[in-house]
Amino acid sequence: MKDKLKECIDWLRSKGVDYADCRYVQRERENIRVTDGMVDTLARDLDVGVGIRVLADGSWGFAATAVLSSADLKKTANKALQIAKASATTKRTPVRLSDQKPFVDQYKSKCKKDPFAVSVDDKLTLLMKVDAALRKSSKIKKAESTMMFYKTNKLFVSTDGAEIGQEIVESGAGYNVIAFDGKEVQKRSYPNSFGGDYAALGYEFVEGMNLLDHTDRVVDEAIALLSAEPCPVTTATIIIAAPMMALQIHESCGHPTELDRVLGTEISLAGGSFMTVDKLNKLKYGSDLVNITADATSPGGLGTFGYDDEGVKAQRTPLIQNGLFVGYLTSRETAPVIKKKSNGAMRADGWNRIPLIRMTNINLEPGEWEFDDLIADTSDGIYFDLNKSWSIDDKRLNFQFGTECAWEIKNGKRGRMFKNPVYTGITPEFWNSCDAICNEKYWHIWGVPNCGKGEPMQTAHVAHGASPARFRNVKVGVSK
Amino acid sequence: MIGKEKLFAKLEKVLAQSKADQTEIVFIGTESGLTRYANSAIHQNVFENNGRIYFRTVLGKKVGVASTNSLGAGELKKTLENSYEIARNQPENPDFPGLAGPASYNAIDTFDDTTAGFSPMDRAKVVKKIIAIADAKKFTLAGAFSTSAGEVAVVNTNGVRAYQPVTSASINMIAMSDTSSGYAAGLSRKVDNIDFEKLAMTAVEKCDLSQNPKSVEPGDYEVILEPAALGALLEWMSYIGFGSKSLQERTSFLAGKIGKKIVSDLITIYDNGLDATSIAFPFDFEGVPKKKVVFIDNGVAKGVVYDRATALKDKTKSTGHALTPDNTGDGAIALNVVIAPGAAKRADMIKKVKRGILITRFHYINGFIDTPNAVLTGMTRDGTFLIENGEIKHGIKNLRFTDSMLRAFGSARALSKETTLIESWWDAVGCIKAPTMHLGSFKFTGKTEF
Repeated sequence: MKDKLKECIDWLRSKGVDYADCRYVQRERENIRVTDGMVDTLARDLDVGVGIRVLADGSWGFAATAVLSSADLKKTANKALQIAKASATTKRTPVRLSDQKPFVDQYKSKCKKDPFAVSVDDKLTLLMKVDAALRKSSKIKKAESTMMFYKTNKLFVSTDGAEIGQEIVESGAGYNVIAFDGKEVQKRSYPNSFGGDYAALGYEFVEGMNLLDHTDRVVDEAIALLSAEPCPVTTATIIIAAPMMALQIHESCGHPTELDRVLGTEISLAGGSFMTVDKLNKLKYGSDLVNITADATSPGGLGTFGYDDEGVKAQRTPLIQNGLFVGYLTSRETAPVIKKKSNGAMRADGWNRIPLIRMTNINLEPGEWEFDDLIADTSDGIYFDLNKSWSIDDKRLNFQFGTECAWEIKNGKRGRMFKNPVYTGITPEFWNSCDAICNEKYWHIWGVPNCGKGEPMQTAHVAHGASPARFRNVKVGVSK
Repeated sequence: MIGKEKLFAKLEKVLAQSKADQTEIVFIGTESGLTRYANSAIHQNVFENNGRIYFRTVLGKKVGVASTNSLGAGELKKTLENSYEIARNQPENPDFPGLAGPASYNAIDTFDDTTAGFSPMDRAKVVKKIIAIADAKKFTLAGAFSTSAGEVAVVNTNGVRAYQPVTSASINMIAMSDTSSGYAAGLSRKVDNIDFEKLAMTAVEKCDLSQNPKSVEPGDYEVILEPAALGALLEWMSYIGFGSKSLQERTSFLAGKIGKKIVSDLITIYDNGLDATSIAFPFDFEGVPKKKVVFIDNGVAKGVVYDRATALKDKTKSTGHALTPDNTGDGAIALNVVIAPGAAKRADMIKKVKRGILITRFHYINGFIDTPNAVLTGMTRDGTFLIENGEIKHGIKNLRFTDSMLRAFGSARALSKETTLIESWWDAVGCIKAPTMHLGSFKFTGKTEF
């Protein structure tokens, strides 16, 4: 395949293009779902093809094909060239790319136990045990447990001379129950909502989740939610659990620091960003405790890789330092706007999608608090656990998150449970109200396998390192 | 495009190789182009040629699914065998209803040669024209314009032979000034049916009217929901409430309420995949013909859509709303949701608003907060206006709503006669069809800074 890609690159070079790259991507996926004692999904998928990106006359063209003969690849290269020429008819400013060393390298993610080599029987046995443990009460209307595995092989060749091969294995699992008492319906999940937790690791990651150790608590809490009081409407001190913090970081820091959004190229669908270029190194985004880093090298993170889909090496970039906004996620096209080189955030959802600026592992660096001390230090507050709903405006300022459940904190102790809790705020006000972050003992990189962006829609695998954190004066309970 | 006869011949050849009791093959092929523009220039411009084959293999009550986009004979045989092995190695599913039997399908014209042949240069010419309209007002324009052709086939060993070629064209655009934005969008099976310049003028006009927006306080307001705004609410309502699985799991807002009045009697909502004026499609991914299904009839909850597995559980028949074989566990989904029009004119509806808000479009709606009560939240964007004493006064800064749609739709006062097709998550096989709607009460719970 490498020779075929290089032939395309040579041909495009002969046509005088400004730049071109070819990506071969082969992605295997296995997903398993057990619902109420039955295997309702057991599916495997193979997705393979080549995407060719051409910069000609100062504009971009991209074409992709699943037919991989040399003739078809050349036809696709020509299509990409013609599309670039069509784009150039509306050009205002020619695209210029930041300099990039052309790497020739191979990268393989860490994987002790290949999930595709683990038998289906072993996986189903574990999920069936989880399922049986979840259906111990008649109030459990539905129990659902899932596993998902990916193995992606990529080959990247560019007119700059890059030749990069990568193999990335990803694993994930989780479960949830729906409880129903004739009137009320409630849901609880483990270890996170919407499919559980994911990492760029092998089957050892699933084994390490200890799925069977948490079934009783999940069932008990789902049933307890049926008779819980609604979350009060008030302004409160809140503590947010680490998995919910992951989504908070995702929506209110990850997306608004994508420089393509900032420059308006995602405006019509996903929106723009309040973190405009004039605010770089000036905006006090959060309190002094807040340090957020984009780190594509975090071990096992779902946003960890060797090279991005422009051939830029994975790296670590501060976004927020001691509360100050100091950095963006960038590409070769956008980085020159802030007089920098790309920090390697361009990724495509497969061979048939153009790379976009995507989050890597966007991590809130750990603080110093023990979790029990944080609860004990809170005289009056609410603790929010596991995301249930999410919404944020198109500049990423006004957000509202709902969680599966919450607990009242009174005089330093966790008390009664609240159902249907939500909290809402304005991004910089919220992050500036952060007065405590738990330490590395409570810090974990949570995988988010479903980050949507772009047209046609692309789904990226990203992650967020987070530990529980406390925020003051937050509006809660506004769902009615 | 492979074509019906050639595709059936190819799929039947693979079907004949199956050792399973029953085998189903679903093929989805696409040739699609999409041109994105922002800051009044094309910045992304893409083309994709792809085809995917799903195998669902049945051994007694054991079911395996495997899929691939690698369509060589060897790879197809390997994927078929893979699905067989998956089926063989798993426990029986006593609720599996078996594959569908042969059926006849409504003949619907869903393919247009002009749309299929629309080139990147053709799209660029359209984009250049609409950018010029924004330029004239010194606004910038951003959006996406796609044209695609594709074909879907479902065959199985019970004799199902379903095939449908499709095209679609869609465009969205926002015109932007320093302080405002305005949105417009178009969708059709035929690219020539979209009036691009009229849409651009609408986006520019909304942008112009909403310049220097004023802030209003959140609260309970009358609203005029334009079709894009109403369509986005319906899309979420369909996702959380109109499918059989959500009814069976009791998370649907229709659960326990069938036969009861749940919203205003002005409201009728249904699914109709056979409406040739919409993004129609005659069968589902199990090869079952689509039926019209009414969810809410003059305010009264009526029912949901089914696939074969969930229909068996409720002792009823599939309505033709199954998803692809890898997603059968998600149950049925309504892909062609329609809210029945009324008799009103948009201008007259605005005249009847004492103090309210006109909403062009919503952003980032989420409906998981409290699904049994259909509580949705989201933000307004790209053209939000204050109406006072029947007149649009000025643009306002965007607001967050959080409200039960059962409560809000209970306050419906009028629906327009004119409807619009709204692009949905389901691309070439469905959309939302919505009029403009006047609600007497809609709760805004927050505001933002622009």
